[in-house]
Amino acid sequence: MLSGNLLWVLMGTMLLGIAAGITGTFSFLQKQSLVGDAAAHAALPGIALAFLITGQKELPILMIGAALTSALSVYCIQWIVTYSKLKADAAIGLVLAVFFGIGIVLLTIVNRSPLGNQSGLNDFIFGKAATMTKADLTWLFISAAIIIIVSLLLYKEWKLMIFDPVYAKGIGLPIEALKACLTALIVMTIVTGIQAVGVILMSALLIIPAASAKLWTRRLSTMLIFSGITGGIAGLAGTFISSLRTGLSTGPIIVLFAATIFFISYLFSPKAGQLSKYIRKVKFRKQEKLS
Amino acid sequence: MKRCLGILGLSFLLVACGDDNASTNEESKGNVVATTGQIADAVKVISGDHLAVTTLMGPGVDPHLYKATQSDLTKLDNAEVIFYNGLHLEGQMQDIFNQMAEEKTVQAVAENLDKNKLLEDEEDATLHDPHVWFDIDLWKEVVDVIGDTLVEEYPNHKEEFEANEATYLAKLDELKEYTAGRIVEIPSNQRILVTAHDAFNYFGESHGFDVRGLQGLSTDSEYGVKDVQNMVDFLVENNIKAIFVESSVSDKAMKAVIEGAKEKGHDIVIGGELFSDAMGAEGTEEGTYLGMYKHNVDTIVDSLK
Amino acid sequence: MRALEALVVQNLSVAYDKKRVLENANLIVPKGHLAAIIGPNGAGKSTFLKAVLNQLPNKVGEVEILGKAFSPKSLVVGYVPQRNAVDWDFPTTAFDVVLMGRYGSRGLMKRPTKHDKQLAMQALTSVGMEDYADRSIGQLSGGQQQRVFLARALAQNAEVYFLDEPFAGVDAATEKTIIDILKNLKAQGKSIFVVHHDLQTVKEYFDYTILLNKTILAAGKTEEVFTAEKLQQTYGGNLFMMQAL
Repeated sequence: MLSGNLLWVLMGTMLLGIAAGITGTFSFLQKQSLVGDAAAHAALPGIALAFLITGQKELPILMIGAALTSALSVYCIQWIVTYSKLKADAAIGLVLAVFFGIGIVLLTIVNRSPLGNQSGLNDFIFGKAATMTKADLTWLFISAAIIIIVSLLLYKEWKLMIFDPVYAKGIGLPIEALKACLTALIVMTIVTGIQAVGVILMSALLIIPAASAKLWTRRLSTMLIFSGITGGIAGLAGTFISSLRTGLSTGPIIVLFAATIFFISYLFSPKAGQLSKYIRKVKFRKQEKLS
Repeated sequence: MKRCLGILGLSFLLVACGDDNASTNEESKGNVVATTGQIADAVKVISGDHLAVTTLMGPGVDPHLYKATQSDLTKLDNAEVIFYNGLHLEGQMQDIFNQMAEEKTVQAVAENLDKNKLLEDEEDATLHDPHVWFDIDLWKEVVDVIGDTLVEEYPNHKEEFEANEATYLAKLDELKEYTAGRIVEIPSNQRILVTAHDAFNYFGESHGFDVRGLQGLSTDSEYGVKDVQNMVDFLVENNIKAIFVESSVSDKAMKAVIEGAKEKGHDIVIGGELFSDAMGAEGTEEGTYLGMYKHNVDTIVDSLK
Repeated sequence: MRALEALVVQNLSVAYDKKRVLENANLIVPKGHLAAIIGPNGAGKSTFLKAVLNQLPNKVGEVEILGKAFSPKSLVVGYVPQRNAVDWDFPTTAFDVVLMGRYGSRGLMKRPTKHDKQLAMQALTSVGMEDYADRSIGQLSGGQQQRVFLARALAQNAEVYFLDEPFAGVDAATEKTIIDILKNLKAQGKSIFVVHHDLQTVKEYFDYTILLNKTILAAGKTEEVFTAEKLQQTYGGNLFMMQAL
């Protein structure tokens, strides 16, 4: 029976899946998926700070806090890699741990304050898709629309920037601005997505659809479409499955469904799947034997 | 990097300095720590001015999820007597209580009540619903337990404590009558109480209400889309006028339920905020057990009648 | 009207971390030459190229290409950088890569036109890779990849080209194809600058030579500059290929 709450959650998670699939593809190709993970975890202190400073639990205010610390974490990582001896993986791990740790400490403070528990900030750790309302949908719709439009506009620039940054600079593309724009979109995806799946699982939505799509195609445009569709389907199917029984949390099931799609792609994709590789091997050996 | 460490250090300082009134107790008074406000209230009433009573979980704090911090451990360490609810209300703290019990008097005030009088946990038959303070008769027994413990610890105040307890028990009887009197104002088919989590089963049992919570007995139980849908259907089918948010639980779920019901053409309002696991601000009427209970009753009746 | 030089460099210096990589480079190269930039490893050849193309914000000095400071919008310069910064796993075809050469002229956010696509296909054909248009870039051999990157620069229809070690790791057939194309460009009056590593082929390929080792030691027609004495100056004592001359 498709109405009211179920419909809103279905639409919301579908839009989120599409948005995450698209921005996740660019982030994945930049080999910066783990930066997305750190940025997602880093949203937590921002949410807590926004609440502690303003005393408001309205979503837009929390989202601004989340966006600020999330973006800050990305720049912290870049800064550490540029100015210290640490490599990217150590920098990412460090920033993720520190920001998330601060977030948990701040949440403890929030939870001891009189209005803290009512603020529902704890729901941002694992997400609460079940309580999506029309207002949330509006935000998600706007975010998804912005992401799709900007991705269409900057598609070729981002493509070149990721593929051959030296050449891109050489023909005068404004690399820093383009990177900042992409970071902004990723942060926007994270900030809208964490309500549904939480900071911990958000990176899964950024990575899994993109990784699955890569197994099916050689063209960026197709990869983006596949990734968006995979994300959207994971959202729809995950929500639907979680609505069959009581006590099932939506976020984790969405991620599990996306992981299943990846697993199937890994095995059965005609171009890159394990099964087709095996079949090709067998065919090749047969041919060898014959000749 | 240094900046990040600085922020981290600062936050640790903030937490540590949070609410550290353990060190400001006067030397002469005995030191008692209670977990919930309800328990602390009973302790304060019985002991009058003679003891320094500290509440671990203040207004708006959720005991199901509460994790003790270093400063809490210090407070518990300095206490001579510790009171907690038991029956898994303070779900994350059991180990600490067990540890403390080796050195001092630690009383789980609801733990030793007659199990036949307790409500079971629907999902796990070995567990019981811990929200006993909403059944006034059961709470009177708890007050008794508290009184006995305090008298044992501080025998030189025995007479005064017992007198205070008797007065308090009488007030609890008055509260019971008041409640019964107000509830008849609600038509019997409207005596359905819907809240964020299953905190009010004892209230329902003792006053003849049907009670439904979105989440289970503990606020850390999972709920999903189906739970929300079921709740919406229940509200629409039973034509319920108002549902209630709780002071210590996020109200997002209740708001989603209301919107869902509206979508089906059924207008519901939030009847008000109830105190479920925690009480109101200290120093106010709602910061006492009697005031808190009365507030709940008034809020419920005024919205449903 | 004064004839414009292909490249004018005045007092160009670049420093990284207080180390001077390039110091006071001065150079004037007329149009229409196929010029080799040679020097030992670490001499600053790639840095020189990047500085000329305005990619290094910490450079000091003046650079003019065809009379103007380099700005991608005002002057189209064909650029073939070294291949090691490229992401070979990237999902893109050979044709797509060549089409990227048209992005600079389009301006941000505008889609490539039919004309762009025609130019891209022509460029791909001129390097002999038209049959591989739909192949994924990661599936091509080193030589094929280099030809695709050259096609990308050709698609820009520039007047001046800069190539950074285009023959590195490339098979003989590809090398021949590339040098033929470059000579063709020169015949059309274009100017080409190539950072080159193989001294054996300098005389055969290039009519102009620039000797670089932290500064410009010499620049001019190959037969005048490519001498044992000048090479000795440039390479120090490390030159054991003198006999090839």
